[in-house]
Amino acid sequence: VTSFPTAEGLRALDDKHSVFCERLEDPLALEQGQFHFSAKDNLCARHFQARAGSRILKGYRPPFDATPIRKLKEIGGLLIGKTNMDEFGFGTFCTNSGFGVPRNPFDIERSCGGSSGGAAAAASLIPEHLALGVSTGGSISCPASFCGVIGLTPTYGRVSRWGLIDYGNSLDKVGLLTRTARDLERYLPVISGPDPKDPTSKAQPVLDMRGEVTTVAVPAEALADLSPDVTASFGEALKEMGRNGIKIREVRMPSLRFAIPAYYILATSEASTNLARYCGMRFGAMNDEFDQGFNDFFSQTRSEDFGPEAKRRILLGTFSRMVGFRNRYYIKALQVRQLIIREYRKAFEGCDAVLTPTMPFIAPRFDEIARMKPLEMYQADFLTVPPNLAGMPHISLPCGYSRAMPIGMQAVAPQWAEGSLVSFARTWEESFHYRFPEAIA
Amino acid sequence: MKIGLEIHVQLPTRSKLFCGCSTSGDAPNSSVCPVCLGLPGSRPFLNRQALEMGVLIAKFLDCKMSERVWFARKTYFYPDLPKNFQITQYDSPLGTDGHFMIGEKRVGIWRVHIEEDPGRIRRVGRSGEEVALVDYDRSGIPLVEIVTAPDISSPAEARDFLTDLIIELRHLIGVTGEEQTMRVDANISVGEERVEIKNITGLRNVEKGLRSEVNRQTKMLAVGKRIVRETRHFDEDRGVTLPGREKEFEEDYGYIGEPDLGTYRIGPLASSMTIPETPLVRAARLSKEWGIETKAARQIVLTDWALADLFEMLAAKVGGEAAMSWAMGPLSSSWRDLREKAPGLRDDIIGIIVAVTSGKMTDSEGRMRISALSSGQEAAASGGEDVGDLDSLIVGLVDEHPEVVRDYQSNERAANFLIGQVMKAMKGRYSSKVVAERMKRELEKRV
Repeated sequence: VTSFPTAEGLRALDDKHSVFCERLEDPLALEQGQFHFSAKDNLCARHFQARAGSRILKGYRPPFDATPIRKLKEIGGLLIGKTNMDEFGFGTFCTNSGFGVPRNPFDIERSCGGSSGGAAAAASLIPEHLALGVSTGGSISCPASFCGVIGLTPTYGRVSRWGLIDYGNSLDKVGLLTRTARDLERYLPVISGPDPKDPTSKAQPVLDMRGEVTTVAVPAEALADLSPDVTASFGEALKEMGRNGIKIREVRMPSLRFAIPAYYILATSEASTNLARYCGMRFGAMNDEFDQGFNDFFSQTRSEDFGPEAKRRILLGTFSRMVGFRNRYYIKALQVRQLIIREYRKAFEGCDAVLTPTMPFIAPRFDEIARMKPLEMYQADFLTVPPNLAGMPHISLPCGYSRAMPIGMQAVAPQWAEGSLVSFARTWEESFHYRFPEAIA
Repeated sequence: MKIGLEIHVQLPTRSKLFCGCSTSGDAPNSSVCPVCLGLPGSRPFLNRQALEMGVLIAKFLDCKMSERVWFARKTYFYPDLPKNFQITQYDSPLGTDGHFMIGEKRVGIWRVHIEEDPGRIRRVGRSGEEVALVDYDRSGIPLVEIVTAPDISSPAEARDFLTDLIIELRHLIGVTGEEQTMRVDANISVGEERVEIKNITGLRNVEKGLRSEVNRQTKMLAVGKRIVRETRHFDEDRGVTLPGREKEFEEDYGYIGEPDLGTYRIGPLASSMTIPETPLVRAARLSKEWGIETKAARQIVLTDWALADLFEMLAAKVGGEAAMSWAMGPLSSSWRDLREKAPGLRDDIIGIIVAVTSGKMTDSEGRMRISALSSGQEAAASGGEDVGDLDSLIVGLVDEHPEVVRDYQSNERAANFLIGQVMKAMKGRYSSKVVAERMKRELEKRV
């Protein structure tokens, strides 16, 4: 968009927007069994660019559909668009996109959350809309919480990653953002299942949608460092659950605090190798300085087209896996991941899910975000990173409202037990009324 | 002098290591897909056959086999590398601490692992206006890498090692095109410090490159200069090694586990595998079992596996020495013609040679008959049809020809007529010497 002259650009944008709105408004456009869905921009689909929020992939049109997109199309899904995101998933507020910043539908001065910010905004704004999101370290839970929708992140390996542009391959998970549990019931079984094109999806047991959540455990460590409105809403939600007959237990999970450093080392180590291919050879603008050596040529394209957060994570990840640091950081982070998995397993001995707030605060204003340091931003993910690091399925549900902004809670279930989270969501929405912003269409 | 080699050999699978693309693409970039092009969102899936071949090689090299293996990303930026990382094995090779024998010499094998090949750069256009084009047909071709201990003590020995290794691998897994595609990194130290010569293609160049590097290091040491640890390249045209253009420090590949591929339990696979007998192992066995020279045994086995089969059958009947001289003489000289017919003619050939060695046929007759077999005159073959008993044939003939008995009394040569008749009837099953003896004995009775 930025390369168009302004007037022409606006006209083009306006055309696109009206086509989009017509499509949404005209129920006749949908035949029996058809439905609309959107996909986060890091999921490849034919006929669409797949830019993963990065200018380095501007203009890239993949020649194949990501498996979850293919599966949704096969049952009548119409892909209506790709949703904006932090560059390659690197962000908590969707402010790191190469293509503008999506606004929160509840308050356009506030963030949608990230990195699946566009997906959460679409699910929040458009009734009956299914948005495919992707979570590496909380990128579904966070925007779901900020935009007041349901965000389900399945177990690592449940949904094929074929066609997902990698951030951290051992952490990336494709999931769903919607307004209702009914959509999860309908579409989770569709996108799940083994896929020969993604070996990590092949070991999964059959998806069981019958599980229940009757006891939840709340780790005391999760309740520190919350803003008062989040603490209050979460407390109310616990009371409501108690009235619904759900047993609530307190647990200790002291290792959760190691999740963020371990996550950033593993995710950026993998990311720094995944992003190596974008060098101006076949991906990324080919700069015209052909007289340079290839290293300089690559560096020029990478310097020009990666955003600052991508560069920060490439540097961090490259450093963590260098000789001399590899054992101290990368290998150690792998051990921490095992520690956290064990801690979850222990917690699950007496409960069906571990319950916490999703984010420590409501969606922040953009001016607040601008004043945050990278470490403060990373720290905001302290409740969403642990289940992601452990590969455990989790769901974020709206559980309260403060200053007209939604607040979310997050339930984590044992590996492969995402079915129980869907039934948990169904039960919850029977007793707690969700609010949605007025649709703009 | 110490030489250690890192050898890359293509595994002869039909499809690539991590995708279904054919390994035999013809036109540039004709055998490519999202995986081997490294398109965003694609991911590898392992070709199990390549893994099995790698395991077989590691086991053949008598390595300690890993129980579980996984893959690693070796990250470096190069225009022929689609993902700018190579999927290889780092901290879990298929096997370690093996060895390979060059004759009596033991060469240690440090490790064996499999990995993907990058693409290939082709430079076109006039010098100064060159354009580099990348062909990704090679991207993802499965390779096995074999790393030796620095146990090799001369460039000639390095070449012998590679020659013998390839002979064995060709038989073991059907490696093809070895001369052109074998790529070797050679580490060599004449004095204390070692120098690595990177990416030498082909056996002859390995020897040449090492020789020129030995000369260079020897000359430097002779005038009291120090050898610097470095990476060099072998310039095939000029026949010398040149310093690499790489930076001074050693490259840090920042290995991490390949998260898209799981771990593979190869322990049970490795222990259930039986290693078929390879040519040089067979040659060593033949030499020992039948007391023939290793060189001769090697020549027989390398001429053809089926010739060695024939040798073993012959040796069981006529002994190693005789079997060897037949196998290396008349049989190998006409082996090209015999080869395809060999299975059907095996008994005939053995029959002829047994007849010769037991004196029932002359050596030259035997050779003639074998050459007749090879040229397709199967009628000349013996042993197939029943030619009856020699003695009763002689008795019958002598009875029929009393005039011969009469003439024989005055002239022993009269027997030749009957001997000729017998030879004809017996189709060469008995040597003329034997027939003549028996004929004389019969005639003497009647005189």
